Order: sequence, then structure tokens, then C-alpha cells
Amino acid sequence: MSKVFAAAIVFVLVMPATTAAHRLDEYLQAARVSLGRDRITLEVDLTPGANIASAVVALLDRDGDRTISPLEAEAYGRAVLADLMLELDDRPVAMALTRVETPTIDEMLDGLGTLQLRAVGKVETVGAGRRQLYFRNNHQPAASVYMVNALVPEDGDIGVVVQTRDPRQQLVRIEYRVGPQWPLQLLWLALGAAVVSTPIVLRRAGLSRPPELARAFGRKVAQAFRPAFNP
Amino acid sequence: MSDRPSRVPLAVLLVLASIGVSALQRTAPSTDAPARAVAAAEAFLATLDQGQRLKANMDLNEKTRTVWSNLPTGIVMQVGATERNGLKLGDMTPAQERAALALVAATLSRDGFQKAMAIVDADQVLETRSAPDRQASSRIRFGRAEYYVGILGKPSTTDPWMMQFGGHHLAINVTLAGREHVLTPTHTGAQPARYTVDGRTIRPLGDENDKAFALINALTADQQKQAILGYDVRNLVLGPGTDGKMIAPEGVRATTFTSAQRAMLVDLVREWVDMLGDEAAAAKMKEIQTGLADTYFAWAGATTNGKGAYFRIQGPTVLIEYAPQGATDANTDHIHTIYRDPTNDYATRATRR
Repeated sequence: MSKVFAAAIVFVLVMPATTAAHRLDEYLQAARVSLGRDRITLEVDLTPGANIASAVVALLDRDGDRTISPLEAEAYGRAVLADLMLELDDRPVAMALTRVETPTIDEMLDGLGTLQLRAVGKVETVGAGRRQLYFRNNHQPAASVYMVNALVPEDGDIGVVVQTRDPRQQLVRIEYRVGPQWPLQLLWLALGAAVVSTPIVLRRAGLSRPPELARAFGRKVAQAFRPAFNP
Repeated sequence: MSDRPSRVPLAVLLVLASIGVSALQRTAPSTDAPARAVAAAEAFLATLDQGQRLKANMDLNEKTRTVWSNLPTGIVMQVGATERNGLKLGDMTPAQERAALALVAATLSRDGFQKAMAIVDADQVLETRSAPDRQASSRIRFGRAEYYVGILGKPSTTDPWMMQFGGHHLAINVTLAGREHVLTPTHTGAQPARYTVDGRTIRPLGDENDKAFALINALTADQQKQAILGYDVRNLVLGPGTDGKMIAPEGVRATTFTSAQRAMLVDLVREWVDMLGDEAAAAKMKEIQTGLADTYFAWAGATTNGKGAYFRIQGPTVLIEYAPQGATDANTDHIHTIYRDPTNDYATRATRR
């Protein structure tokens, strides 16, 4: 596939530009990474310039019928996905394609059509701490320009610390921190509240000594069960 | 006006446009902004027949409001729509077009309206340049006739409604909710970014460019080191079709700025915010200045004005991107910008109340 693409690139680069607007000989690939507690979500928008669009169309429209079928779109989406590398804390993340949307062939040939690819990868949920995601886009590097950005996570307990890219934005290392999960936090909060409030409650009830507390507790239990014993 | 000749000499068109703009600005009353906008919307709708009115005025909801793009007519937009909301100028009579542009003028400041029309005129230049080489079968169209004016919802001085004015490189989205007028999200762009009319050079986004270069050059070496991203940025990160998303901020934080540098940053932000009228712009600027300590300025590309460079301003209630298309060092003649508010696009704060 890469040889076909490369040959087509060489061919189109010597052709005169015919479209006045927008990028011509670049394959713009813009990725956005969404960080979740148990998943990584990826959005990639791919826009071939007018002068290289025919090469991308050749990869997409495998049967040459001038339309892109859902199966052809999915096959290309999988091919793109295979060219992406994602590692979380040095362990590969398997990404599954969730959606591919393609423009018409004419729109691509005009240099204004964008393919939209969406994928998700499940990752092992871990407790609070720092994590590092490595992303590299190896799809058609000869003619491509890249962009990659971490989105602000939807989970407010996850925060991006730093993003480090190469000059082409072909790769990025995203360091992020994950806060403790809410159920655990709530447990600690409840325990803390109990520790703080117990002496206050006892003082208000006039029970400052443990024997008094025990006796009062016994009386309460007896009162509670008296009806059952004396119907 | 769909049968209007497509090759009207450009200079004549631009002069007529300028006269129209001046006339609109002279006649704009300085009354209450919401009432003025409603009156202009009703006046525009009154010029339309039933079929046109149905096209120009539609419901305002979470789906209709997102139908806007940087792309020219003939291309499916990022949100999947095939046509913009509203009625295009090319399908209006001259009287309808005047009323439509009066509505646009009534929802923007004088500078904002002039900027929008300069972008429209740039696209007319592009149409004139590109039409001879375009294949007859191409559905792509540039030029003034391809700009749409739409009213979403019922114009009201109390309830939310929206005015959209858009075409290639322009998506003005003004949500009016009582006295709160919100311009985000809005896209401006230009190609060509510099053209001449009667010997006068027009740069629709020239001030944005020049003020940004002045700011990056006013930073110290240490501040520049933090601001300059060290990688190439070839387009908007959060352009059309990315509503509701926000990226992690990067660059230099304005807390490190001197008061003079802060003033330059604020002045740069005003290029977008001041497209709205005084009252709405002042309220927005106050909000942005409150969050200035958490605002970042990021830069990619050369720091010599005249070359292309990408920049981004990101704070708690603002995101602005300015992106030359193609290789940043070389391309200064094709610009995309985006202006967003992560907390209040489409006036969601007001409409939620």
C-alpha cells in the first residue's frame, strides 16, 4: 500500500496545482487524545491536499467504482489504526475502531474532504498516580503533516501534566495524573467525619465516660426491643 | 438575485459593498442593543416571501446551532450538514440583502461588521481568481453570493435566539439572550489575507497578525522559551466541528507578564471580543481579565512579522487560535482563526438558567 501511495505522490507532485484554495501537497492528520480512568479515546481527522488526494482515494476506493462503501471506509480506518502506536506506561494499548466517516471522492480531490476516524482502547484501571501515554502516528509519513493534542479529560480527577512532542508532532508523550476514585475518597471522608464528630456527639449527650455510654446504649437497645418482648 | 452576473468587475462590487457598509453604519440607531437586533431581524424577515422566510428562520436547538463551517459552499461541513442555515445573499433581492446585512450590522460592532465584510470581499477576490481554472463539474463556489444569513429561534429581547452569518472563512454565531450577547464560537479567516481595492491594501486579519507579533517580540527570552511550542502547527486544533472539546493549555502563563505585556495580550484578545457591541464586549473583556492569571499564550513558527506563525490564547473563559494554512514559515496568505469560550459557547450559561 505504501508503495502505491509513494508512487502516486511522486506523480502528483510534478503536476501543476489546479485548486486555488487550501493545502495542496500535504496529508494533514490531526489527532486528539482523550484520557479516561479505564480507557483511551482517539479522534483522528485526515485531510489529504488536492494534489495528493487521488493517492488517498486509490487506497480507499479499492474497487474503483468512484464511491467509498462502508466496508472500504472501515478497511482504510483499520489500516490507519494499524499505523498508530499507543503505549500506556510502556505497555501497548489495543485500539478498536468505533467509527469512520468519509467525505465524497470529489470533496477529497478538491482538497477539502476530511475523513473522521474514532477509536477506543481499554486500559487497566489503576489507583491514583502518574501515568504516561506514548502516541506515534506512522501513517503515510512521506507526505503527511501531523497534529496531536490531549483533550482536557472529562473526569475532573484526571489532569494533563505535560505534553512533549517531536517537531513534526508525529509523536507525543503525555504525562498525566490520576486522582483517587470517588468511592475511596468518600470512605475516607466518612471515616474522618466519624472520628471528628463522635466526641462532639458524646459531649452533647452528656456522655463523657465509656461506662455511661455503654449503659445508655444498653438502655436504648432494651427500649427498642421491649415491644417485641412484651406484646 | 440568483441570476446575477457572476463576473461583475471586482472593483465595482467592492466599492458597492463599501458604500453599503457605510450606509448601514450611518443609519444604525444607537438605541438599546437587544431591541435594535430584534428590530433588524424582524425588518429582514418582513422583506422575505413565505418560502424564503422558512429558509431564513429556523428553530434554535443543540443541533441547528452547530451548523457552521470554514468550508466553501459545495463541501459537506464537519458536522455533516450539506448547506448552511439561512438564506444566501445570492438568492436575495438588493433590498433583502440590505436588510440582511443591516441585521448582521445590528448584532456586531462597527469594527466587527467591517471585518466580516472584508473577509467576504477577500473571498470575492478568491472567486475571481479561481473561477477561470475551476472545472465546470465542481460544486465548490466562493464569493459574496455564497454567504448565508440565518435567524435561529424567534427574535426576542428576553428569550434566546441566534444570528448566523457565514460562508467560506466566516462563521459569525451571535447568541442573544436578553442583554447577554455571546459571539462564541466564531470562526474568521482570510484568503487572500491581503488584497487591494483602488490602490488601498486590505488585510482583514492584519491587526490580529501584527499585534501578536508585537507581543511575542515584547516577551523576554525566558518567556519566549516557554511560549514557543517547539513544534509545527499547521491548522486550528479546535476548529469547526469540535464543539464541546477543550485541549490542555500550553505556552507561557500570563502571570509572568509585566503590566505592559498584559496590556498587549488584552489588546490582542480584543480583536475578537470587540467584534460585538460595546456593552457585550466590555462584559466579556471583564470576564477574560478576571481569568488572566490562568491564561496562556502559545506560539509556533517564526517571530519575524511577515512570516507565518500560529498562536493560541487560552484562559478559563476564552480560547483563540490563529493558524496560517500550510507551512507556517511560508504561508501568510491563507489564515484560519477560531474564538471559543469553554464555559459559554452559544450562551449556554444563560440558556441553562
